[in-house]
Amino acid sequence: MVGTTPPPRLPVRDRATAHQRVGAGVSPMLTRLAEERATGVLDREHGTLHLAEGRVVHAESPLAPGLAELLTAHGTLAAEAWRDAEDSEDEGRLVRYGVTPGALELAQVGALYDAAYFALAPSSTPGRFRYGAAHWLASVHPVPVAALEREMLRRRALLRRIWPDPATDGAPLVRADPVAAPAVPTRQAAVLERVDGVRRAVDIARELGRPAFHTLVHIRRLAAAGLVAPQPPPAPDPPPADIAADPYVALLKRVRDALEAL
Amino acid sequence: MPGIDECLLETMRLPGARGAALVDWTSGLALGTVGDPPGGDHETAAAEAAELARLAAEQHAFGPGDGTDALDPPVEDLILSNRDSYHVLRFVPTSFDSSVFLYLWLARADGNLALARIRLGEMAERLVLG
Repeated sequence: MVGTTPPPRLPVRDRATAHQRVGAGVSPMLTRLAEERATGVLDREHGTLHLAEGRVVHAESPLAPGLAELLTAHGTLAAEAWRDAEDSEDEGRLVRYGVTPGALELAQVGALYDAAYFALAPSSTPGRFRYGAAHWLASVHPVPVAALEREMLRRRALLRRIWPDPATDGAPLVRADPVAAPAVPTRQAAVLERVDGVRRAVDIARELGRPAFHTLVHIRRLAAAGLVAPQPPPAPDPPPADIAADPYVALLKRVRDALEAL
Repeated sequence: MPGIDECLLETMRLPGARGAALVDWTSGLALGTVGDPPGGDHETAAAEAAELARLAAEQHAFGPGDGTDALDPPVEDLILSNRDSYHVLRFVPTSFDSSVFLYLWLARADGNLALARIRLGEMAERLVLG
């Protein structure tokens, strides 16, 4: 009889610590910058975070309307007034042009969390940090990195809970027109009106002068109600019209899509 | 009134105020919090209050009787009571398309609901109009 050593035990992922690891850092680099109280600009694949003494003070993303768009879209501020304040990097000018400090803070913190959602989305390229001067709006509403990361994870979970399929976040959208359409609340209706097979969530957010994440929330609710779907890739052979029109078949297909997306 | 924190601290000067927050009802984010959190955690309380605010804001039936929805949302405030406290949610109208409300948690024994409603309305206005 030959003695054999038992094979080594397979590594088992400890679920509790694995969860903590995920929760502990959306971006380890950002956590480190917060610890060293860095000031400068963090460039990531889908956006930019501005830091001052380790706290996030401003964020921008090509996927989210900026503070300028939020303030000018509804006439809170004239476009020339924004350019003047931005060129002179003078927060006080915004106030002199009629934006109250409270309104500026509300809009700025809204735009910050909005752009950060995309800037901190999982990316395929590493981030790059440049030390430098603080952003000109740095004093309006600084956000601690830990609070921002916690909110980002909460936002991802919120979208997943409304409708698990993320396809509507980035694709051109089409109206689905179910047979028994539910009533649509005013703000969602404004989004639905602009769904035309070409516009994506970010385009609609820009046109409405509304935070992009809010638009994603509205679109996921519309998707869950069966009113909006991502533009499908060109279909090889469409199903017979009488089956597609059957509300039960349509509902079953949406349930199937949702389950597949889980 | 300068900013969010000043507005919330002012809210806490109301008699019976236990805690206050400024919450975004689309995302559920607490933009600012002060005092004790209802239910033990400000973030959870904000997310739950946001869900309640959204339901109220989105129903046409809760708008004014003349049927005009000139204001968005058409609802001014929400009052919820329990054995020992009130929860008062006051929508903040802004000139840009935001969705925030002031949230006050008020002790029932020494709070004055009528006064709190009036004050919250004034503060919501001053926060954005200055």
